[in-house]
Amino acid sequence: MSRIRVLNTSLFLLVVFVIQETIVSRVNFPINGFSLYLAALIIILSLEERSGALVFGFIGGLIMDISATAENPLGQWALALTIVGYLFSVNKESIGDFTDTPLMFLIFISVTSALSLFIFVVLGAMLGQDNGSFSHIFSIVFANSLWTFLIMPLFLPLVIKVRRALMSNRERV
Amino acid sequence: MARGGGNRSRLLLVLLLVSSLFLITLDLRGVNLAGSIRSGVTTVFSSIEGFFSKVFSPIGNFTSDVRNFGQSKSRITELEKEVDLLKSQKVLDEDVVGQLNQLKQVLDLAGRGEYRVVAARVINRGSTATFKQTITIDAGSSDGISKNMTVISEAGLVGVVKSVTSNSSIVLLMSDPTFKIGVRIAGTQSIGVVSGQGGNKYLLQLLDATGEIKVGDNLVARGSQNGSPFVPGVPVGTVSSVQSNASSITQNADVEGASNLERIGVVAVVVSNPKQDPRDALVPKPSPTVTVYVTPSPSPSASK
Repeated sequence: MSRIRVLNTSLFLLVVFVIQETIVSRVNFPINGFSLYLAALIIILSLEERSGALVFGFIGGLIMDISATAENPLGQWALALTIVGYLFSVNKESIGDFTDTPLMFLIFISVTSALSLFIFVVLGAMLGQDNGSFSHIFSIVFANSLWTFLIMPLFLPLVIKVRRALMSNRERV
Repeated sequence: MARGGGNRSRLLLVLLLVSSLFLITLDLRGVNLAGSIRSGVTTVFSSIEGFFSKVFSPIGNFTSDVRNFGQSKSRITELEKEVDLLKSQKVLDEDVVGQLNQLKQVLDLAGRGEYRVVAARVINRGSTATFKQTITIDAGSSDGISKNMTVISEAGLVGVVKSVTSNSSIVLLMSDPTFKIGVRIAGTQSIGVVSGQGGNKYLLQLLDATGEIKVGDNLVARGSQNGSPFVPGVPVGTVSSVQSNASSITQNADVEGASNLERIGVVAVVVSNPKQDPRDALVPKPSPTVTVYVTPSPSPSASK
C-alpha cells in the first residue's frame, strides 16, 4: 500500500465526513439518524488488504474523533475502529464471501456498522461515559443499521468506484 | 494474521492500539487536544453548515413532518379549520415567515421573563456517531455567548450551551439522556428533577415526598446560582401522566416537553440573568372558553 494512496483515501474519507456533518446530520430520520461516513469507511475496510484495514480503521476513527459535536476523548473512535479493522484483517477470507454479492455486502455493512457503534459504546462504558439508557442506545444502533441497509444501495457503487480510482495501476491488477 | 508479513501486521496493530490509547490518556489527563481541534473544526464547518442549512432545510422539515405524523393525526380536524383561515393569507415565503414568527415568539417569551437574549438560527444537528443530542446555532462568543448559558425557544427550554466558537455554538438538547434540570411545579413550592429520555418525553422525579403531582401541572426551571446554566422561570414542560408506585421513595411522572425539539428553527440564548425571578409569569395560560347559556322559549303549542 503506497503512501499516496493512504493520503488519497484519507482525503476521500475527510470529504465524506464533511458531507456527513454538514448535510446528512441535518436530516431528521425517523427513529434515529444514519452515518454515511461510517458505512463508507466500512466498505473501504472490507475491501482493503490486511494492513490497509488496520491503517484506515485508525485514520477513519481519528477523523470521527474530531467531530465538532463529539464529547468522547480523542482517540476513542480511533481505538474502536482499529479493533474493527483488526477483526476485518484476521477474517479477510470470510469477508470475501460477503463482498461478492451486493445484497450480502449490504447486510454485512449494516451489521458491521452496528458492531462498530457497539464497540464504541462498550469502550465508552469502560471509560466511564454516560451514553444513556439501553433502549436509547439500541434505537440509535438499530436505526443506523436500518438506514444503512436502505440508503447504501445508492452509494455503494459510488464508494467502490472512488476507491478503485484512488488505487494505483499496480494495485488495481 | 497473514502468513507473510504477519509480524509486520502485528507490529502495526500494536502501534495503532498504543497510539489510540495514548491519545485517550492525554485527553483524560486534561491535555485539551480534542477541544482545540474540535473548536477549529466547528469554526470551519459552521460557514459550510450555514450554507447547507438554507439549501437543505425543506428536506429536514419534510422528514420531521413524517416522523410526527402519528401525533399529528388527532389534531387534523382542529388544523383543518386553521388551514381554511391560512389559505386566505398571502404567504410570500413560508420558511422566512415561519422563522420570523418563531423569533417573535421567542423574543416575546424572553421579554416577559426580562431575560436579555441573543437570537440565533439552528444550522445543524448532532450526528449519530456522537450519541449526544445536540444542535449547532449560528451565534457564538462574538455575540456574547459563553458556555453554560440557557437556550430557549418560543415555548420554553431547549437546552444549554455546551461549547462555543467565535461564530457558532453547540447546544446540548434537554432530550439528551444525560440532561438534568431542577424544576418547580408552577403555583406550588414542590421541586423535582426533570431528566431527558432521548425523545420528547421526560421523566420528573419529585423530591418532595409530600408533594402532589397532577396531570396538566406546568413545570418551570428553578434556576441555578447566578443563572448558570439555568435561569429561573423558563417553562420546561407539562405533566402528561403520573406514575404511581407505592414502593418508590420519590414520586415520578412523565412530562411532555414545552418545546418541540424536532421543529425548532430559531432559538434565543439567555446572556444575562433576570433582575428578579419571574416565578410563574411564563407559564402558558389556558385560553379562555366561552360558555353560552340558552334558555328555551316556551313553544306556541304549550301555551294553548
